[in-house]
Amino acid sequence: MATITVKINGEEHEVEQGMTVLQACEQAGVEIPRFCYHERLSVAGNCRMCLVEVKPGPPKPAASCALPVAPNQEIFTDTPMVHKARNGVMEFLLINHPLDCPICDQGGECDLQDQAMAYGRGGSRYHENKRAVKDKYMGPLINTIMTRCIHCTRCVRFSAEVAGVEEIGLLNRGENAEISTLEKALDSEMSANVIDLCPVGALTSKPYAFEARPWELKKTESVDVMDAVGSNIRVDTRGNEVLRVLPRLNEDVNEEWISDKTRYACDGLRRQRLDRPYVRGEDGKLKPATWPEAMTAIAGAVKGMKRDAMAAIVGDQADAESVYSLKKLMASLGVANLDCRQDGAKLDATTRAGYIFNTTIAGIDEADALLIVGSNIRWEAPIINARIRKRWMGGQLKVASIGPQVKTTFDVDYLGAGPETLSDVASGKHPFAKILKDAEKPMIIVGMGAINRPDGAAVLATAKKLADDFGMVKDGWNGFNVLHTAASRVGALDLGFVPGEGGKSVPEIVDGAASGAVKFVYLLGADEVDLTGGKAFVVYQGHHGDRGAHAADVILPGAAYTEKNATFVNTEGRVQLARRAAFPPGEAKDDWAILRALSETLGKALPWIDFDGLRKAMREEYPHLARIDDAEAAEWGDFGTAGEMNAAPFKSPIDNFYMTDPISRASETMAECTQTFVLDRQSEGTGTNG
Amino acid sequence: MAEQFANLFEGVWWSSYLAPTILTILLILAITVPILLGVAYLTLAERKVIGWMQYRKGPNVVGPFGLLQPLADGLKLFLKETVVPSGANPVLFLIAPMLTFILALIAWAVIPFDDGWVLADINVGVLYLFAISSLGVYGIIVAGWASNSKYAFLGALRSAAQMVSYEVSIGFVIVSVLLCVGSLNLSDIVKSQAGSGFWNWYFLPMLPMFVVFVISALAETNRAPFDLPEAEAELVSGYNVEYSAMAFALFFLGEYANMILMSAMTSVLFLGGWLPPFDIAPFTWIPGPIWFALKIAFVLFIFLWVRATFPRYRYDQLMRLGWKVFLPLSLFWVVATAGFLVAFDLLPTAAQ
Amino acid sequence: MASLDSTAKSFLLAELLSGMALTLKAMFKPKHTINYPYEKGPLSPRFRGEHALRRYPNGEERCIACKLCEAICPAQAITIEAEPRADGSRRTTRYDIDMTKCIYCGYCQEACPVDAIVEGPNFEFATETREELFYNKDKLLANGERWEAEIAANLKLDAPYR
Repeated sequence: MATITVKINGEEHEVEQGMTVLQACEQAGVEIPRFCYHERLSVAGNCRMCLVEVKPGPPKPAASCALPVAPNQEIFTDTPMVHKARNGVMEFLLINHPLDCPICDQGGECDLQDQAMAYGRGGSRYHENKRAVKDKYMGPLINTIMTRCIHCTRCVRFSAEVAGVEEIGLLNRGENAEISTLEKALDSEMSANVIDLCPVGALTSKPYAFEARPWELKKTESVDVMDAVGSNIRVDTRGNEVLRVLPRLNEDVNEEWISDKTRYACDGLRRQRLDRPYVRGEDGKLKPATWPEAMTAIAGAVKGMKRDAMAAIVGDQADAESVYSLKKLMASLGVANLDCRQDGAKLDATTRAGYIFNTTIAGIDEADALLIVGSNIRWEAPIINARIRKRWMGGQLKVASIGPQVKTTFDVDYLGAGPETLSDVASGKHPFAKILKDAEKPMIIVGMGAINRPDGAAVLATAKKLADDFGMVKDGWNGFNVLHTAASRVGALDLGFVPGEGGKSVPEIVDGAASGAVKFVYLLGADEVDLTGGKAFVVYQGHHGDRGAHAADVILPGAAYTEKNATFVNTEGRVQLARRAAFPPGEAKDDWAILRALSETLGKALPWIDFDGLRKAMREEYPHLARIDDAEAAEWGDFGTAGEMNAAPFKSPIDNFYMTDPISRASETMAECTQTFVLDRQSEGTGTNG
Repeated sequence: MAEQFANLFEGVWWSSYLAPTILTILLILAITVPILLGVAYLTLAERKVIGWMQYRKGPNVVGPFGLLQPLADGLKLFLKETVVPSGANPVLFLIAPMLTFILALIAWAVIPFDDGWVLADINVGVLYLFAISSLGVYGIIVAGWASNSKYAFLGALRSAAQMVSYEVSIGFVIVSVLLCVGSLNLSDIVKSQAGSGFWNWYFLPMLPMFVVFVISALAETNRAPFDLPEAEAELVSGYNVEYSAMAFALFFLGEYANMILMSAMTSVLFLGGWLPPFDIAPFTWIPGPIWFALKIAFVLFIFLWVRATFPRYRYDQLMRLGWKVFLPLSLFWVVATAGFLVAFDLLPTAAQ
Repeated sequence: MASLDSTAKSFLLAELLSGMALTLKAMFKPKHTINYPYEKGPLSPRFRGEHALRRYPNGEERCIACKLCEAICPAQAITIEAEPRADGSRRTTRYDIDMTKCIYCGYCQEACPVDAIVEGPNFEFATETREELFYNKDKLLANGERWEAEIAANLKLDAPYR
């Protein structure tokens, strides 16, 4: 892009043409106060806080957020006119803003508060009655105190542009203007981002209401494990309690949004926790035990056990370090029955390109045709959904979907429900095939719904063939994507936690446990498999008393994702670090430490004594896990097994966005969301539209 | 009186031992009980006097005018636990306060309360007193060492050095008095000051020596402003820091008994002992022991007065004063007195 | 002459004697002691004694859980937890002051936007155990009720200077 020269406060700066004055000033390091302007939203220009003096131009202040730079423009941000304008705007804003900072949850992290300190007067000259506005209902997540609203309309623009649900609007005019959802809950998986966007305390977090002040909180930068996107988050803790989760800026992954599950499932970390080991007694009841007792019980069960009667399953939120530890421990016992694919997805661990999101999330911004196979992206990965919508909003992306017909936030061609349609497109018979063929950067997203079926390998092979045939894989572009739902999956596949020579996969292990062929199962946080009633001795290591723990004979309490330093690999294959924000409750311990202690008890001590040693060993064996924040391009290869696909339609692997894992299942807030957004909607569906 | 008492036991074959023993014990009690009472009320007097000088009222809650305060203090100390530190030498640790207390009391054997009112009228009374008061330092040294505490030890070392320093000048002051008296018997010293009134007492002709003696007495009894051995600011109470309850009480009693003793010595040497200030009618009606007690009380008041007025000396100042001022001054005075007596042929003839 | 003067003064102990004269004079002056439990000295309206949480005249507690006192407390003696009350208003569920940590600096009452936490005129709150000095919300509110008249009077007296 062409650059032009402008003068900012007398200094010359080179800026790109097409930038606004505000962006130019920001680039030059000159601070301009603003409320309504947000770099990821459209320009509204209604707060008037960003006024600057511009020459040449009319002799009055100009709103810098909406004014494009022009060659040889002179911009002043520090003149008496600008000061007077800002002071005036600030005084007008404060006329109707209540002086209730002490009871406002935004207090301490409030844009208006900060800017009033910088640009406001010492006292008020306004003696009339202030405006009062009735609070609105916006669902179980968002608290509204509308008297505080300064009508910046960031929330309106967010819901319309990013979330794709046009449910927030500005009613009336002038002093009567009100933000409203017409008393409806904001039906978006990303609704709570409006809380971060709101520059004042009008929209605040309902579950976090009045809980803490920002200055009390310890902030830890971490990553999310609620889905496979690996959103960058900041975990705020007070004492040993996780009080809230906020997004962290990462342009390549989540920009600055996170889903509501990521944000609000953290109250599940306080409930249903396993805080001490349990061992199932003679009477079939779980009894509290000490760590040595639990370890001895496991050693007793393992003793003399045949290696093909033992199995280990990795759950959806396991970190790479503990998966690696478990793999090494099982290898030393000679066990081949290992699996990380709890949902039975027919993924191939040998070719990395065959199980990651090759295009990368940021790559979506370049795609021009997209075929979604067997996925409800809006629920499986709301962040990726938002990226697709962003690209679609630009007008260059055509989207088609094969699989469940769901409400989306962008226009989608529903081509069909099952593998037949996929074959049609792959063989070029379908009209959408032409669009894919003509596209420069076409991409396909294969969801878990398409491959977690018995014929998953064949579906995968068909998708690969489609990708090859339509030129989706070429220099600098790989349009083949697998969208995972489990945060641990890519990491575990990278580490090769799949059945070894003659090993059993998850469905076979479950069957074996029921029939008695498998006598010992180690569950590393695996809660989506049902082993109750089986004959096997089950060890469950995890953090919540969920499905896995119910079936267990020995429970080893581990750490949740906010309680450990760990490596996670997201669906793109991006390696990211989670950091400890709090300590595990009670006697619970770090997962790697549990496995290390168990290996000692079993007489197969793992060759490291601390976490650094473990991480070093893992990174030596799998060097790409040392390249943090890097989504490495994978080499295209052969994967999937061509074969017959059965006609059953693809089903989304998630039937309730708000409850997909042990943490969100234990969360009260997620239960409320489920009630509001899933159960109530279903009853509406059967009751009124029939 | 003694003979009548002895007659009570007429006919008992060992009466010649029993009667003097019982008599001596009774006499000892007759001296020590008032002294201990005096000590008790000296503590109250100290608090009262210092209080008044600081615009306070002093203890006034326990009993009328706080008169039962010493009993309350004594009861408290008596009921407390005697803590022996684990690192201490327990035998010496407990002997030390007893030693201090006993030494403070046995010196009273030679003090004359009136003409002939003395337990042991020995002819080397002054030497005996001097010897006993020098032994007092052992109680403190033993306490400091046996406590096995750095503060106590430092306090004890200071105390030893201080007492040794000031004993020298005290010695010379006494010598100059003795030159005028010609006897070491304390009763003789008092009698030699007899005359028509207080102008015959030695404090007037030997005023500088009187001052030196009083100041040295302050140092000898570890009193303010020379209370460095127990300086609470730096040594947190010095040699008695590890002591509690009765062990501490014995130190306390011993220290105050020593104060009274030094006051008694001052009275005997310089203030005419039991003699009335004017040898005329109304004054001579009052018995000698009362005059003696009043003089002791006056000197004690000076002790308290000084404590309320002056801040504590620094250690080097203390040593400088002892060795560089008092020693030359008292030495000079001895020579001057002796020279004066010889020159004018005023040497007292020996009494016997 | 001057040196002679000073030598004479030092040998005649002039300074010592003048010092002793001063203390002797003091001995006969009226005493300042007050008979404490029965008589008490005057207290400033700004006296910073035992803490109290106040209520509005209608019985509503003033504290709104803004946590400014907790934030400003230099001894970190204050612990507050808050949650929405049934009527949606912001209230504390826990308001603890560790009186053994408190240094009575008065910053908490300076920080309080609603005059809820105040340091009242009471200084006679010695206890026999440490535990009794860990004040909770009930204790502080009870203090507020007990001392409200005095506290309100003191605040009124001090108001012109704030």
